Amino acid sequence: MNKFQHTFIFALYVSCFNFCFATSQVDPLDSPSWESMHSKILNNEPVIFDDRVQISMPDFAEDPMNVPVSVQVNNLENIEEIVIFADLNPIQKVLSFQPFHIKPYLSFRIKVEQSTPVRAAVRTSDGSWHVGGSWLEAAGGGCTAPSQGRAAGNWHETLMNVSSRSWIKNELGRVRFRIMHPMDTGLADGIPEFYLEYFDVVDAGGSVLAKITTYQPISENPVFTLDINKEILKPINLLGVDNNGNRLNAQIEN
Amino acid sequence: MNKRNRACETGLIKSLAIAASLALIPASQASAGVSDKDILNDAKTTGDVVSYGMGTQGQRYSTLTKINDKNVSKLVPAFSFSFGGEKQRGQEAQPLVANGKIFVTASYSRVYAMDSKTGEEIWQYDHRLPEGILPCCDVVNRGGALYENLFIFGTLDAKLVALDQDTGKVVWKEKIDDFKAGYSSTAAPMIVKGKVITGVSGGEFGIIGRVEARDAKTGKLVWVRPTVEGHMGMLNGKDNGISGKTNATWPGDLWKTGGAATWAGGTYDPQVDLIFYGTGNPAPWNAHLRPGDNLYSTSTVAIDPDTGKIKWHYQFTPNDGWDYDGVNETVSFNSGGKKLAGHADRNGFFYVLDRTNGKLVNAFPFVNQIDWAKGVDLKTGRPIETGVRAGDPAKSADGKKGSQIFVAPSFLGGKNWMPMAYSQITGLFYVPSNEWGMDLWNEPVTYKKGAAYLGAGFTIKPLNDDYIGALRAFDPITGKKVWEVKNKAPLWGGVMATAGNLVFTGTPEGYLKAFDAKTGKELWKFQTGSGVVGCPITWEEDGEQFIAVPSGWGGAVPLWGGDVAKSVKYLNQGGSLWVFKLAK
Repeated sequence: MNKFQHTFIFALYVSCFNFCFATSQVDPLDSPSWESMHSKILNNEPVIFDDRVQISMPDFAEDPMNVPVSVQVNNLENIEEIVIFADLNPIQKVLSFQPFHIKPYLSFRIKVEQSTPVRAAVRTSDGSWHVGGSWLEAAGGGCTAPSQGRAAGNWHETLMNVSSRSWIKNELGRVRFRIMHPMDTGLADGIPEFYLEYFDVVDAGGSVLAKITTYQPISENPVFTLDINKEILKPINLLGVDNNGNRLNAQIEN
Repeated sequence: MNKRNRACETGLIKSLAIAASLALIPASQASAGVSDKDILNDAKTTGDVVSYGMGTQGQRYSTLTKINDKNVSKLVPAFSFSFGGEKQRGQEAQPLVANGKIFVTASYSRVYAMDSKTGEEIWQYDHRLPEGILPCCDVVNRGGALYENLFIFGTLDAKLVALDQDTGKVVWKEKIDDFKAGYSSTAAPMIVKGKVITGVSGGEFGIIGRVEARDAKTGKLVWVRPTVEGHMGMLNGKDNGISGKTNATWPGDLWKTGGAATWAGGTYDPQVDLIFYGTGNPAPWNAHLRPGDNLYSTSTVAIDPDTGKIKWHYQFTPNDGWDYDGVNETVSFNSGGKKLAGHADRNGFFYVLDRTNGKLVNAFPFVNQIDWAKGVDLKTGRPIETGVRAGDPAKSADGKKGSQIFVAPSFLGGKNWMPMAYSQITGLFYVPSNEWGMDLWNEPVTYKKGAAYLGAGFTIKPLNDDYIGALRAFDPITGKKVWEVKNKAPLWGGVMATAGNLVFTGTPEGYLKAFDAKTGKELWKFQTGSGVVGCPITWEEDGEQFIAVPSGWGGAVPLWGGDVAKSVKYLNQGGSLWVFKLAK
């Protein structure tokens, strides 16, 4: 785990106003692709490596087609967008999460092709990116394999069907839902890319609580977990579209 | 608290105002859009090709003369573009050109946009197809339609998809019908007065043919006109009258699975303001099950583009018993002050109609052997049948197979889908024809959703040892054959005529060829590396004239061709677009 030592070696300052957190301006994960990620995904905008941005996931990807990842941001105000990316994946961008009226917490599952840093970059209204993340070890092969729905041949019968569950946790309504979609990366031979492009999480009054833009590395039949205030007008709707123009329009009743 | 919710396509979700306002992708404004006027003027403007048929009348004639009979021998490739992947099947498309881009569709419902001068790809769209699609005759696509910033095309799983011309992103998408019941879409859509006009494929599965008009900007359905008698039409969500009169030309319930698929697209003539759409065979093939003319199968129907009503129809093969689809294009032309239309049918006859009313003006054979009819009665407009019809299986000894016949043309037709061309200078039609016949017999059959609904068996046989295909030039007024060029393999690609005294077409042997429009003399050929079954186009850009054609062997011949398939088995598959210009 010597990659993590960089976090502490290059920590420039430690701030303890309300909470203690560490920041740095040098990539604590020492990724060979960091410079390219900085320009390609974060537009070379100012970056602070910030441990208020936390990614939770297993150390090793038992199933490279389905790696559970959670992103949590603590004590960071004025969040505009959270971008998840994996430096060494053939398709690096995983998703973008814009939490307009919900907590900056999201969990989902991803495909990885090999061991890679997995990062969350949080853009705040001052225009800077707060980046957190860690290395995920993997045996490989997640992005270039066909989806199981393709093999079974029945994906079109369940496309965009949604199943969901909700419960109360920490005074918040936590909701988990699964959207049926093959999420083909286009990297498996003879199978064109076919993936959910985005969806809005909308309350019963029509206000958009969050927008989630999804890319090919999200696992087949994506599962998302969000925290939603108990006061939100129910039911919640998911409205979105995939890259073939198939629409997602589902209601989560709870 | 587990709950399962269905997607909106199944209609189980409560409708939400916010759902209605969900636009897929905002339309981009980067290109000058293709207008209705651009489409109506397409045959006259040389800088673009914005409609299937190189003009909505379908003449496939260009006024360009930079490439002509004197210099065509100096034609060389400008570039070749590969469709890639492992999906190399029949490439039957006609490309389109607008605003510096070429748009071309390929097998398996794929679309490519490239720079029209360099062939550099701008975007591609690979439609995700389900595993259970039921195309009868190869996984082809014949092209798209341009309207404003959209490229609109039909898919093998019976969807209509509108893509942004600049990005290839889906702007709208509509389901035409259920692919599991045998519906698919392979023809190029057509734009008429802001509406996108489409038909349906699936005539071998007992579907119901129909022509539909949608708002081209949104995909919203405007009217539906079924092409089988007895079925109700629709205009703006309301009933719009039954097509024909129920049971007038169909017995019992058979009209409910009557076929007449509108699978090859249509043409539009603004001078008479009518859409001309061809219809396929009545289902099933066994004609003994459905005594009567079986309207509007094997016909051209003339439809009012505003109301979706049938103004007139002309039926080529009443009570068809040979699978002589009437889908081939009906091409408008004027001669001697008359508004006429030409149509080379699968049944072997070339028809000249008065396109204002559908009355027969002339009919003559364009192939050498026609066994099913002696001719067409110019007074009644009906064929003079010879009685060569396959027997009724119900009357056979075991009830399983009716008496067998040999008949020409074969069901693949004297001419199939591949569009002919009409030259305004020579006044000739250039018809890609084939000489073949078939053994045919009838079998009992009942309709089952998604299963082939034929009730017939067949095998195709060439009529000559040395050739099947023949490109022929006909004078439509006299019926005289002016010239012909024979081809060993069956011709399966579209034809184009130009004011440079040239006629272009491709061959399964891989050549794109240019002929003298007056004499048929071969002036130029180029080997594209795979069979050419696509449609050539031409346009002018920065002072140079370009010619483009897709290459990639496939289509119905290798799948259905019987003895013929043996003679074409050494033709290899491909998938590319070739573009040519004069060497400097």
